[in-house]
Amino acid sequence: MSRHDQSPVGLLAELAPWLRLLARRRGRLAGGAGLMVLTLVSAIGLLALSGWFIAATGLTGLLLAAGVAARLDVYLPGGGIRAFAVTRTVARYLERLYNHDTVLRLLADLRGRLFAVVAGLDADALARRRASDWLGRLTADIDTLDSLFLRLLAPAGVALAAILGLGAFLALFAPAVGFSVAALLLVGWGWLVVGQARLGMAASRRQVEGRDALRGRLVEQLQGLAELEAYGALADHRRRLAALEAALYRDQRRLGSLVALGNALVALLVGGASLAALWLAATAWQAGALSGPLVVMMPLAVLAMNEALAALPAAFTWLGATRGAAARLNALRRAASPPPSGEGGATPLAGPLSVEMAAVSLRYPGASLPTLERLSLRLAPGERLALCGASGAGKSSVASLLLRRLAPDEGQIRLGGVALAAWPEEALRRRVAALTQRVDLLDDSLAANLRLAAPDAEEGALWAALAWVELADWAAALPEGLATRVGEGGRRLSGGQARRLALARLHLMAPDLVLLDEPFAGLDAETVARLGPRLDAWLAGRTTLFLVHQLDGGAFDPPGIDHALTLVEGQPGGYT
Amino acid sequence: MAEAREPRQAARWLAAHAALERRRLALAVAAGVLATLATLAQLLLLARFVGALLVEEAPLATLLPLAIAMLGLVVLRSLALFAQERQGLAASLALRRRVRGELLDHLARLGPAGLAARHTGALASQLVEQVEALDGYVARYRPQLVLALLQPLAVLAVVAWLDWLAALFLLLSAPLIPLFMALVGMGAERLNREQFVAVSRLSGHFIDRVRAVATLQLFGRTREATAEVHAAADDYRRRSLRTLRLAFLSSAVLEFFASVAIAVVAIYVGFGLLGYITYGPSPQLTLASGLAVLLLAPEFFQPLRVLSQHYHDRAAALGAADGLVALLDEDPDALRGSAEAAPPAPAGRLVVLEGACVDYPGRGRVLGPLDLALAPGEVVAVTAPSGGGKSTLLALLAGFLGPAEGRRCTAPGLRFAWMDQRPLLVKGSLADNLRLAAPDADDASLVEALERAGLAELLTRLPEGLATAVGERGAGLSGGQAQRLALARVFLSDAPLVLLDEPTASLDADSEAVVVAALRRLAEEGRCLVIATHHPALMALADRRLALDASPGEGA
Repeated sequence: MSRHDQSPVGLLAELAPWLRLLARRRGRLAGGAGLMVLTLVSAIGLLALSGWFIAATGLTGLLLAAGVAARLDVYLPGGGIRAFAVTRTVARYLERLYNHDTVLRLLADLRGRLFAVVAGLDADALARRRASDWLGRLTADIDTLDSLFLRLLAPAGVALAAILGLGAFLALFAPAVGFSVAALLLVGWGWLVVGQARLGMAASRRQVEGRDALRGRLVEQLQGLAELEAYGALADHRRRLAALEAALYRDQRRLGSLVALGNALVALLVGGASLAALWLAATAWQAGALSGPLVVMMPLAVLAMNEALAALPAAFTWLGATRGAAARLNALRRAASPPPSGEGGATPLAGPLSVEMAAVSLRYPGASLPTLERLSLRLAPGERLALCGASGAGKSSVASLLLRRLAPDEGQIRLGGVALAAWPEEALRRRVAALTQRVDLLDDSLAANLRLAAPDAEEGALWAALAWVELADWAAALPEGLATRVGEGGRRLSGGQARRLALARLHLMAPDLVLLDEPFAGLDAETVARLGPRLDAWLAGRTTLFLVHQLDGGAFDPPGIDHALTLVEGQPGGYT
Repeated sequence: MAEAREPRQAARWLAAHAALERRRLALAVAAGVLATLATLAQLLLLARFVGALLVEEAPLATLLPLAIAMLGLVVLRSLALFAQERQGLAASLALRRRVRGELLDHLARLGPAGLAARHTGALASQLVEQVEALDGYVARYRPQLVLALLQPLAVLAVVAWLDWLAALFLLLSAPLIPLFMALVGMGAERLNREQFVAVSRLSGHFIDRVRAVATLQLFGRTREATAEVHAAADDYRRRSLRTLRLAFLSSAVLEFFASVAIAVVAIYVGFGLLGYITYGPSPQLTLASGLAVLLLAPEFFQPLRVLSQHYHDRAAALGAADGLVALLDEDPDALRGSAEAAPPAPAGRLVVLEGACVDYPGRGRVLGPLDLALAPGEVVAVTAPSGGGKSTLLALLAGFLGPAEGRRCTAPGLRFAWMDQRPLLVKGSLADNLRLAAPDADDASLVEALERAGLAELLTRLPEGLATAVGERGAGLSGGQAQRLALARVFLSDAPLVLLDEPTASLDADSEAVVVAALRRLAEEGRCLVIATHHPALMALADRRLALDASPGEGA
């Protein structure tokens, strides 16, 4: 099952872009780690100083009982104990708050960065990522990467610093104790971070895929329940589900056992190191090299290290999940090719644009047949062409090419006599407008959705656009008017309303080339009868490309067509 | 009051399932107690070692057995901790598998008619994610809930034996423990709830913008949208920090008491050892017993701290259980009717409906009373205005629904084939998809079925033939091809009754013609076809038409 690269080099390379993103906030990260260290030092200090204090008082008490004049300053250590108790609480509280703030800032960074990546995807890459489970996975992956600092980097770094610091501190009094404790704990740290990660890598990385596979089979079963029941195939399908679940749980059992092993090792390590510290300190005491209270302090300080190591096994056993998320997001970054920026600077003349496609071929990655094969078409400025064809004939591909959302594999595309690739992005988006088959509305207000097309449009212009598509009366009757939210994906609007809103959006622009994919789909005959002439008038003086299933000469045909071209499997079938 | 009742119902359901794992969970608790006992013994020996070394000044060699015993206890503790986690894990895996099985059984009993109104993608996610969300609750929270009571008691007993005054200090904080738990619980629950709402709203915003990215590209607005995504996340950060400031306080209180207890015990023991305290057991304190008391003090609070760490597991599991209980609430028997056997249909009849009516909860009567008899070789077209009960009639004939009144009699051992607008495509090969209908069919019959369904041409174009992989949810096949694949399954099955629900509704003209031709061949084989359709070409196939009226009772 090792189709993933398991090498540590691969791991670092996969995480590198995200570590760089983290590094931009290194000041905050250092602050958060500093608070974690302070919490830990307080915890260790509390236990160690208390142990020292009890031993010191005990030994002094014996001397006093024996009638020896002995003095012990109880106020300084007593104050220290109280201070550690308070700083431990306060530092922990501040650390949690501060680090959650950091994590949320990182989340904002990650979301912004990844949105920019998604915004750079071309039409094909986006179409292949339309499914809702891709969106769910994307957000889940972002959340997973978001915990990179708080779950993995910070605990491992703080534990390492604590081990070295504790070793050095103990070595001040008894070098043998300091070195032994540090050596033991370092070996343990190495195992918890590297060993656990290696053993859990493949299984934890497979978890997301395993859940996806299970979900896929469940969808099959639920959607196909009628057929499965009819053919008596339900039990058989359940067995396939059970096998997937068993594989998923086999991995989980392995991961859970590994985490349990890691936790047990932490207990063994801390207990063992504390015993070693006790024994070596006792040896030093008998040699007269160490005072009694320090002998007690040392094993207690080591016992408190439990807190530093406890989080490591679970976090690092599941490192593969983080790695998988990073790998998927990296793949997304690679899929986003920087769009042709059109720095050529050539700006075509104002007015309707001519369109020229010369021997254009397009083949989607992984497809066995080309989608478009040496397609040529021309439109003079102001002409209207209807591109007809069944779904899959290549109409939307033509639109994506003209909108520069796909790049052709071969051939030339020119708009207004200028090569499409040389168009400046801003001018292209301003002068070429499109009504896509699927209307995307933001989960935002009517006004915000309209202003996508014209950010600076005044309210009057928005109302005029709504009136143009006969939505003004409807919108005026809404209690919140233009501030009415349209719901997720425009769910609170009917299909026809959404389509008209999208048309109104176009009306707010003044494009020189318009692409309209089934402009009247989902509208009733009455509305079409009123909208048709208006659209006809608005399109005058603009070059237009209609994409339609077929023309039947009826009322739903788009207005004023000069030519029609039928596409059959990516090739011109007939010109009229 | 429904809102107050629901969560308790979910908690009861969850507890009932956890009770089925009581053996493993009891073992986990036992292992946890063993780990505590080992810890107690180890700490007592540590104190004794220090006392012998520093006070009695025993030679180190004589203390070796003590050190070895401590090492043994450390090992024992590690093993016990390992066992505790393993048992919790095993309980969680078994419970989740059982719950998912129970849900799948329930959904299968509800059947296609019961699930018709549900979004299958959301349902599948529920079956994966919500069942998985029960993990932490079973594996960690349940055992820890018991341990959070037992472990402090064990510690308290040992401390009382060493020094009852110190035990009193700890005990005084004991009434605070339920208070802690409530505090922690309230904090965690509120945090969880508010975070959940805020997080899903934020994810919703992000997903919304990603979904509309093509449009944003076309309007050249991606840069503004990116800034907006960042700003929304940052705004969420500022608002959620206000909540967190309060929510973290509750665990800080717990932390504070644990720290203060150590400090108080340390200072009490220290002053006692110096002889400053002459009250109660203090004069009897020795270095060993004093040190032991100090070492045990943090152990008293540790179980509670662990519990508070697992508290969000409980909240997550309760949230998930809520959704799952709601799913299990629907009663399949109300849909399918009681299983009491209707008499078999008379010879020569496949299905006979006698005055059959179908009611839907909340909608009343949607079909019937209807009399209908189906014989082999008949082709019946069912027409009705939309919502007029065509699908209901097919579901009734199939047995997905039971008649509320009247009877549905079937020929003994009747088998039927089914096809609707969204044919089932399983991830696997073309052959896998066909063998759903006939597990033992050989390749030749698969090819023959494909030919009859009008897919011969496709098969010749596929280099891997029957072994060609059909992607998840039919990736790689067009809608028409998928529909014909489902038809091939019908040909492959020898079911005498074929129920077809708008089989051509989503097809273009070419595919439609192929499907209609294939259905004609199917009828020529002598099977009984019942087709719910609007389509003239399909109606032309029929030798009988059944027009269901919007008003029930006038059908047939």
